Amino acid sequence: MSSVAKDSVGDLGRHVPALSSALRPHPDDELREWGGSRLVRGKRVLDLGCGDGRLALGVARFATRVEGIDPDPEAIAAAKRNARKAGVRNVHFAAGAAQHLLFPDAAFDLVILSWTL
Amino acid sequence: MVDALVEIHRVLAPGGILVDARPDSRVPAYAERRKPRGFQRFGIVRTSRLELANDRDADRAIARVVRQRLFERRRSGRLWHRIPFGDLAQLRQYLREHLRFVHRAEWVVDRATRKRHSNDQFVIRRAVRYELLAALRSPRNISPA
Repeated sequence: MSSVAKDSVGDLGRHVPALSSALRPHPDDELREWGGSRLVRGKRVLDLGCGDGRLALGVARFATRVEGIDPDPEAIAAAKRNARKAGVRNVHFAAGAAQHLLFPDAAFDLVILSWTL
Repeated sequence: MVDALVEIHRVLAPGGILVDARPDSRVPAYAERRKPRGFQRFGIVRTSRLELANDRDADRAIARVVRQRLFERRRSGRLWHRIPFGDLAQLRQYLREHLRFVHRAEWVVDRATRKRHSNDQFVIRRAVRYELLAALRSPRNISPA
C-alpha cells in the first residue's frame, strides 16, 4: 500500500485539486514497482509532465541529474518551490512540451511519463 | 502522442529506458470503507468514456512506436494505491469533480449500510499500470557494417 493510503489525511479529496500529486502514489512506491533505485541510480533522468515535481524530486537522490518538463508554468513554479524546500540541487524544472524537447540527442538514460500519455 | 514518443526516442540514449505509467482503466476502481483492520468494498467506480478513449489512444501510440522499432517492450505491471477521504460525502464530492471517473459509484451495499457508515473514513482504491520500454537504435543511427 502507498504511504498516501496509510496516512489519515481526512478531507484530502475535497480540498486538493484532482491533478494534485497528493492524490498519486508515493514516488517510492512507484519506483519500487518499476525496479527500484537501480533503475535511476547514476542516470540522467527526464520527467515529462512532471507537474509539481512529485516524481522528479522523488528520484533525484539516486540520479545524477533530473530534468522536469511540464506545459503548465504554474506547476513548474510549484515544482521549483518544492525543490527549494527540499534542498534538492540536481533537479532543473522548465515549462515545455514533450513534442519539442530542447535537449540534444541521447541526452538521457531514463525518461519518465507518469500519468502523462 | 506518437510525435512525443519519437521525440523521447531522440533524447534517450540507445538502450535507455522509457517508463510509461498511468491509471489502469482496464480494471475498475473501488470505493472502500476503512475498517479497524482492512477495508470493506462499498462500490465500483468506472472510468469515464473520454478517459477510456484517451487511454486507448495512448496504447495505440505505444504500439506504433514499438512496431516502428523505436522501442522494445521490456516489462510491465500494475500497482494499487488508495486515495483517502474523511467520509462518504467527501468521496462522492470527489467523484462529482474528478474527470477520470464516472461521477457516481455503483454501490454493492444497500442504502441503509451506506447511511450507517457515512461518517466512516473511505478510500478509492485504483490501479496504476506501468510499462518499461527500451530505446532501440533507430535505422538512421545504425552505422553500415
